[in-house]
Amino acid sequence: MKKIIRLTVNGEPVEAAVAQNQTLVQFLREDLGLTGTKHGCGLGDCGACTVILDGKAVNSCLVLAIQANGSEVLTIEGLAENGKLHPLQQAFVDKGAIQCGFCTPGMILSAKALLEEKPNPTELEIRTALSGNLCRCTGYQKIVEAIDDAAKVMSGREES
Amino acid sequence: MLLPNFEYIEPTTLEEALRLLSDMGGNARVIAGGTDLLVRMKLKIEKPSQLISLRKVPGLNQVIKRETHGVSIGPAVTAADLARNEFIRDKFAPLATAAGKLGAPVIRNRATIGGNLVNGRPAADFPPACMVFDAILKLKSATNEREILVGEFFRGPGETIIEPNELLVGIFMETPAPWTGGSYIKLGARKALEISMVNVAVMLTLQEPLGPIVDVKIALGAVAPTPVRAFAAEQYLMGRHPSEKVFSEAGAIGVGMCHPITDHRGTMEYRCLMIETLTSRALNLAYQNALAWKP
Repeated sequence: MKKIIRLTVNGEPVEAAVAQNQTLVQFLREDLGLTGTKHGCGLGDCGACTVILDGKAVNSCLVLAIQANGSEVLTIEGLAENGKLHPLQQAFVDKGAIQCGFCTPGMILSAKALLEEKPNPTELEIRTALSGNLCRCTGYQKIVEAIDDAAKVMSGREES
Repeated sequence: MLLPNFEYIEPTTLEEALRLLSDMGGNARVIAGGTDLLVRMKLKIEKPSQLISLRKVPGLNQVIKRETHGVSIGPAVTAADLARNEFIRDKFAPLATAAGKLGAPVIRNRATIGGNLVNGRPAADFPPACMVFDAILKLKSATNEREILVGEFFRGPGETIIEPNELLVGIFMETPAPWTGGSYIKLGARKALEISMVNVAVMLTLQEPLGPIVDVKIALGAVAPTPVRAFAAEQYLMGRHPSEKVFSEAGAIGVGMCHPITDHRGTMEYRCLMIETLTSRALNLAYQNALAWKP
């Protein structure tokens, strides 16, 4: 039996009927068409499905859609503003931190949650924040550099 | 990977949650963070017909400093919240360290201390850290309530003494005496998303800064079917003055308390070597922290 949930996705109120065994990643991709969030291992190991749920980065494959009732969800589609990429997205492009791109949305959302908490993270803090997100292409170095660059851009912008 | 069918129920009071648990019998499972349960359900290891969520039950996700001496931790407190809680970091450092080593940030934001204890996995991060503080677990059912010492809670891999109609509703710990230091060391092949090969927690109390050891507790995980206390090593240390030599002797004694297995994470022989090394290292670290104790 389906149940009605109401939540906010990327700033927009959403009301939908979901199956009780539907995960949040399935709901985002299949019901809302937000396919930026990737469905990887489905077991919380790879982090490709990372979204920000009420301010915290989580594996959306290990959250039931019904558990997001009343919550605020941010996916990769909610980052750009007025057609302009978020500084993290721009830094990933500029640094070449993307190869196949499958891990990128999760990486960027884990990084965003980190920068909300620590606007000027150390390299170790960046690597720790990404430790639940696997990348099989880049070797991580460019991802770490991109996040470091974005942190500088973002904190500089806040000062001005 | 898909989840089997189940009914999801969100009680809004503790009484309602307990009543549901006793009505549903053994077919229901409690869901808190879900980082372990949903994985086990996807892998078809568990097939509960109902999931009873703790999400709307008030009061289960708080860390409360008690007026007397100690702390009360709700079972639904997440690992991330424990890892950054200032009071826990200061007075219950092994617990905060263990919380910060569990899984990865995306897991720690959901995984709860109660879930980690109730799952009863031999390699879990929280059990040894709770054992060195002699934590008391409060179990409640619709008709009964009991308090159990954490050391008596675990029965075997995935098995604890909790009954299907009971809920872990609180974890209580006394604040350690002055000149106490603690430590937690987790050994794995990698630093994140890892299940321990060996983990060890230590709490060590000195009589005074340069005095003898007046209290010490050592707990080890992933070395036996349940997490274990190294009682013989603790007894050996009592009353002795701290030194590298007594700590390594305690490590050697500690190995005798363990029955590690060989599996894909490590061999029995390697685990025994690491128990000795890590116990002595954790004791050293706890001793350094005890010397740095502040009121």
